[in-house]
Amino acid sequence: MSARAALAVMAGKLTTMILKLMGSGGTSLPGKVVLKLCPDILGRLAKDMKIICVTGTNGKTTTCHVIRDMIEAEGKTVFCNDAGANLLGGVVSAFVSASTLGGRVKTDYALLECDEAALKSIVEHFGELDVTAVVTNVFRDQLDRYGEVLTTVNKIRAGLEQLPNVKLVLNADCSLTTSLNDLPNSGIYYFGMNAPLYEGTSSDISDAVYCIHCKAKYRYRYHTFGHLGGFYCEQCGYQRQEPDVALTKVLEWKDGSEVVEMNVFGKPVKAEVMLPGGYNLYNALAAVTIAHLTGLNEDSIVTVLGGLTTHFGRMEQVQLGDSSLNLVLVKNPAGFNEVLQFLIQQKPTGNIVFGLNDNYADGKDISWIYDVEFERLTGAAAGAKGYYFTGKRAFDMQLRLKYADFDTDKFHVEKDYKALITRLKQEGEQTFLVLSYTCMLEFRDKLSEFVPLKKYAREQ
Amino acid sequence: MSEKSLHICHLYYDILNLYGDNGNIRTLEKRLAWRGIGCEITRLSFGEVDRSADYDIIFIGGGQDFEQELLVKDLFAYKAEWLKNEIEKGTVILGICGGYQMLGNYYEAADGTKVEFLGGIDVHTTASDQRMIGNFVFDYRGEDGESFSVVGFENHNGKTWLGEGVKPLGKIVKGYGNNGEDGTEGARYKNVFATYSHGPLLPKNARLADELLSIAYARRYEEPLAPLEHIMEDAALEDIRRQLGA
Repeated sequence: MSARAALAVMAGKLTTMILKLMGSGGTSLPGKVVLKLCPDILGRLAKDMKIICVTGTNGKTTTCHVIRDMIEAEGKTVFCNDAGANLLGGVVSAFVSASTLGGRVKTDYALLECDEAALKSIVEHFGELDVTAVVTNVFRDQLDRYGEVLTTVNKIRAGLEQLPNVKLVLNADCSLTTSLNDLPNSGIYYFGMNAPLYEGTSSDISDAVYCIHCKAKYRYRYHTFGHLGGFYCEQCGYQRQEPDVALTKVLEWKDGSEVVEMNVFGKPVKAEVMLPGGYNLYNALAAVTIAHLTGLNEDSIVTVLGGLTTHFGRMEQVQLGDSSLNLVLVKNPAGFNEVLQFLIQQKPTGNIVFGLNDNYADGKDISWIYDVEFERLTGAAAGAKGYYFTGKRAFDMQLRLKYADFDTDKFHVEKDYKALITRLKQEGEQTFLVLSYTCMLEFRDKLSEFVPLKKYAREQ
Repeated sequence: MSEKSLHICHLYYDILNLYGDNGNIRTLEKRLAWRGIGCEITRLSFGEVDRSADYDIIFIGGGQDFEQELLVKDLFAYKAEWLKNEIEKGTVILGICGGYQMLGNYYEAADGTKVEFLGGIDVHTTASDQRMIGNFVFDYRGEDGESFSVVGFENHNGKTWLGEGVKPLGKIVKGYGNNGEDGTEGARYKNVFATYSHGPLLPKNARLADELLSIAYARRYEEPLAPLEHIMEDAALEDIRRQLGA
């Protein structure tokens, strides 16, 4: 450890301390300070560690959450960057926090949630280190940030190219993700679903209609979600790979969990996955793949899956007087469609709040709400007491639901979070709040004036 | 009395659907349904064309560069002649973003290479390194002579230039429009409405949606389309217009 690196770590720790004293939730600034002093700090701090990077459009935070529980169940130690702090600064800050003043990180694993566009900047100093990279999936995200869906694939590719010895864990059902399998690697492992998820599932495959290799139209043996499923190309033969960890059947849908049959590297495993919404099963499968690779046995895997507690933000429950609030974060059409599938199963009878902002982190362009299949929810949510709209683009969201044939007599626009929270509290109902990223942050800030809440990490 | 209905063609529905383009079809369909008018939607993809069909409205959305090459090949193989004919005979056509460019003469890349497009309306597009992105507002002058604001989102590098006989669809109030230079937005030729307002243009621009429907309906039934309220549509439009200070 050079004096320069030690100094950088110290400066980073000091910045963190000052931020804490100031009561700021900021998590990126210490990283920026450290990088200024020692640009290759990550390579130095990560030198003797096992590193797991999780990237992809949807499910990064939940996947990290499950992986963390798996690693800890093994009796190993791990540190992670905070949810959402997934750019270079956030990752460096996490390393600095986990490091001693002398620049040693004593945990066995570094578990890093990595933004797709930031992946390269994060991993470029890891080089030959022991890195396992999980790519959860690739969907259209905020186009104004990434351009097109292939740009996202290429950004991930540019990151993984930095790692000649990487072990890749890829979503077998995603043709975009699977296309990364021609990268240099020291092992590729796939997870996926061997059967469709639900009856009448969304099969909007428009994120990947044509073969990424030869541009012929894909054919599908079955669909699970969006463009995910049993894809194959008749022209060039590119196709879904047989998963090492496969979901073979959902035996039972419960309220907030699913009982499933899996095949884990050849062994049949039955487990209850304590995550709400079928889409989360993909995240569980990715984590199970990692767990197997790190040496956790099947019994322990089952125990962990059955003991998961929902991570805040992705599906946070808050009691507000007699009202119970379920806060759900949405970022893009695929994620929103997954949340709709969850709501359809819930058949809400209380209130539903839709919150949409158009700040940079939400996507400046809100066109994507027309790619969300609200029409599928219309019937299932017909028994709801009211539909509330909030955020900067509340009126656009309201209009979207008008065109999805929701009952406009139950519509309420309330952009003032305080007034909205007061109203929801008075209502005393089970309430689902589906909010875009900065809308979630703003809403939680206001909500914390009513009830104590956990800290919510945010990018600076 | 037989039920009245319009026939809409969603051209390249599975390729030119980059970002919420379906919102436009949905809007046309619902605003007809709320007036008690039926709507048949035909979705055409690669290799498909139905020359005998009598469409009232053809919608062409925006796409990704990845598919452009395939698209142009298919356009000339199956659809060019038919589409040009539809334009000339006055069928209502809405082309947005990539669909707008494609209706024009050609696209000229930065290195000077040209990609031939349909040549249905006299416009052409040149590459630029300027990203023209953001919410934008333009003034549209309706068939009845009354002007109103249209608010959308643009996201393009291409600069489109209008030729002879093509009028701009509107005048830029805020944003870039066709090229960020001459203050024009979109193109109007016969009943072709072409614009850079990508994705769901029509939902909150209900007056523009009704303009398209009125022309199409009058062509088919030789009678005016009944008026329909657009209160929530206007609320969304005015809210964002106010936020943009336009």
